[in-house]
Amino acid sequence: MEFLEYVSRNAQQIIFLTTQHVQVVLLSVAVAAVIGVSLGIATERAPRLRRLLLAFTGTLLTVPSFALFGLLIPVLGLGLAPTVVALTVYAIFPILRNTVTGLETVDPAVVEAARGMGMNSWGRLRTIRLPLAWPVILNGIRVSTIMVVAIAAIAAAVRGPGLGELIFRGLARIGGANALNQALAGVVGVVLVALVLDLLFVLARRLTTPRGLRV
Amino acid sequence: MSDSFGSTALRLDSASPPNDVMIKLEGLRKRYPGQSTDSVRPLDMEIRRGEFVVFVGPSGCGKTTTLRMINRLVEPTSGQIWIDGRDVTHTDPDELRRHIGYVIQQVGLIPHLTISQNVGLVPKLLGWDKKRIEPRVDELLDLVGLDPAQYRRRYPKQLSGGQQQRVGVARALAADPPVMVMDEPFGAIDPITRERLQDEFLKLQQRIRKTIVFVTHDIDEALKLGDRIAIFGESSQLAQFATPLEILSHPADDYVRSFVGTGAAIRRLGLLRVGDLEGAGGGAGAGPALRVPPETTVYAALEQMLDAGAARLAVDGEPGAERSLSLQEMLAAAARGRQVPS
Amino acid sequence: MSRAEGVIDVEAEAPVASWVLPVLAVVLTAGMLGYLQVASLDSIEQRVLVPDAILDATIQHINLVVASTLLVIVIAVPLGILLSRRRARWLGAPVLALANAGQAIPSIGVLVLLAILVGVGFSMAVVALVIYALLPVLRNTMVGLQQVDRSLIDAGRGMGMSARQVLTTIELPLAVPVMLAGIRVALILNVGVAALATYTNAGGLGTFIESGIVFNRMPILLTGSVLTIALALIVDWLAGLAENKLRPRGL
Repeated sequence: MEFLEYVSRNAQQIIFLTTQHVQVVLLSVAVAAVIGVSLGIATERAPRLRRLLLAFTGTLLTVPSFALFGLLIPVLGLGLAPTVVALTVYAIFPILRNTVTGLETVDPAVVEAARGMGMNSWGRLRTIRLPLAWPVILNGIRVSTIMVVAIAAIAAAVRGPGLGELIFRGLARIGGANALNQALAGVVGVVLVALVLDLLFVLARRLTTPRGLRV
Repeated sequence: MSDSFGSTALRLDSASPPNDVMIKLEGLRKRYPGQSTDSVRPLDMEIRRGEFVVFVGPSGCGKTTTLRMINRLVEPTSGQIWIDGRDVTHTDPDELRRHIGYVIQQVGLIPHLTISQNVGLVPKLLGWDKKRIEPRVDELLDLVGLDPAQYRRRYPKQLSGGQQQRVGVARALAADPPVMVMDEPFGAIDPITRERLQDEFLKLQQRIRKTIVFVTHDIDEALKLGDRIAIFGESSQLAQFATPLEILSHPADDYVRSFVGTGAAIRRLGLLRVGDLEGAGGGAGAGPALRVPPETTVYAALEQMLDAGAARLAVDGEPGAERSLSLQEMLAAAARGRQVPS
Repeated sequence: MSRAEGVIDVEAEAPVASWVLPVLAVVLTAGMLGYLQVASLDSIEQRVLVPDAILDATIQHINLVVASTLLVIVIAVPLGILLSRRRARWLGAPVLALANAGQAIPSIGVLVLLAILVGVGFSMAVVALVIYALLPVLRNTMVGLQQVDRSLIDAGRGMGMSARQVLTTIELPLAVPVMLAGIRVALILNVGVAALATYTNAGGLGTFIESGIVFNRMPILLTGSVLTIALALIVDWLAGLAENKLRPRGL
């Protein structure tokens, strides 16, 4: 009960931080999606470059987020900028990988048939390969989003926006009256944001998957 | 079908196996929990020592379930299983399976073990001495036509599908089990290799005389391999259990007839050996004759006669026992043809 | 940390040429240390960036990672095996679902909640790391066992292997690559989360990142960040080597 009381009393602040959290995540993922999908398409004729990019962005994932934030501060300062850049960096790999997988797994017979009809490569990409690969790409975006929602909680360490602030404030008041409630509100908030966004992706998948693939 | 019938008779030798029962199924029944009908209806069957029995039928007919009840990978709902006079319905299943060779369509070689380790698995389970396992493995690889020196140390992935199944057979034979159960062992292998494996396996069986229960959905394979064939109906009951010739000559009902398909009369010719044709005197007749050994099937002999444009057949035999048959005589004899001994 | 909070890949990712990671790590470390030699450090920086302190923090960091990863293996592997046995299999799906959902929990959250509820320090940080890295290993153990070809198990049973013999000679060796991939993810995760352990007084290289931010001193901040990244790269490289070494032959 105590926790719920805390939440209702601080609802305004919690909602504000939640909105911030969602915004920074969506912004980063949107940038990453543009980069990831374009790189996936642009490197179609350059398989070696593509492998290199996959390896590079994959290795970036092993870089601890706290250290990456730290590395960006001298260049970008504290706050929003390093947060968005770091989150974007992490979000690229799943999207790029799924774009590549999605495009590669399109049934070659379908593409061949389109070629036989006289469709050029841009036409094939736009009307056949991208729509067929879309569910896979979307899933990559989903994976990135869920991942980045959790990482964004660390951004508060570099004065970044979002629910991480509640966690760090709870930590700062350790032993104090509302320390636990505050930190818990932050953690629960992050988990809820992840769950809600995950659900939205299920919905988006339904709405944007070409009908023929759903039946 | 062509060639597959030509070699059928090779498996036969004169000595009939002893007539005692090796596997006896009594009222064997399987119903899976939550289902309203039996997957296998109560089944009675006796399989003789050294006999090669093939279960054949459409998918879902219960043939595989029946097979898997013999080594108790599927526990029967009721009924009894006797092997070599012993009721094994409730014995330790692991111990039972170590004495029944098991070959499956997917082969199931363990990918991280070498060929020789795979073949030596059951002997190892039985606690054999390493010194005894090694020569046994080599012997078995030899037996299935793989050079031990070359294959012993390889891993399953380094072998072709056909070679893998040879190893699968070797593995099943490792501890010299009296009984083997085989679940569509050649089903996933390309047709040409399959035929070769079937032929070799028949030759092998002639030497080792195991009691074999073999599942397939391919009636041609069943006719080619089986001493007796059990045709399962769609409602998981036995439609006919008889020799190939009997099934071709006297199908029990329309279901069996349609299952066997067209050309039964022609197919029978693949089961008859010219040496067994009745009647037919010795004297040479008119026209060029084709000379064949007595174990040639009528099917193969006719094919060769067509090729050669011969109207008569000369069957090799002991001096003085050679026989000569005209086309007419062959056909008449084949129509009466008795089951080749098995 | 990343793969981290994300969904764990069952398969290994596109491999980087194996020498790239350690070379990069060495170059980063050498560059950083070289920079510290030539840079003119102010009094705060000089006080914080003592060679002994850097070494201590590095060792602390490694200790955190090693202790928590070992514990994770000891707990998650047997648990995963248990949950994939036939009698407990009904539990498997809900546990996996829970494990997946658990990945939405931020690592800093686990660390902080535990600090508030139980206490701070090295062992509490280890506990937090274990809780956090348990999921990928548990999950990959279960998935690794589940993906073993059923016909192999059938063949093993058909030969007369007991359930235990099937587990030890067939299922476990074949699950090893997937299990190792999970352990590798746990290791990487732990390097990352251990960097945050500074907030709960457990030391580690994160200490420098935190001080760098607090004192607004870039050399301190960079020392912590670069060394943490170098450590992560080396751990990933070593884990990759171990993965190749331990994978059963013939696969």
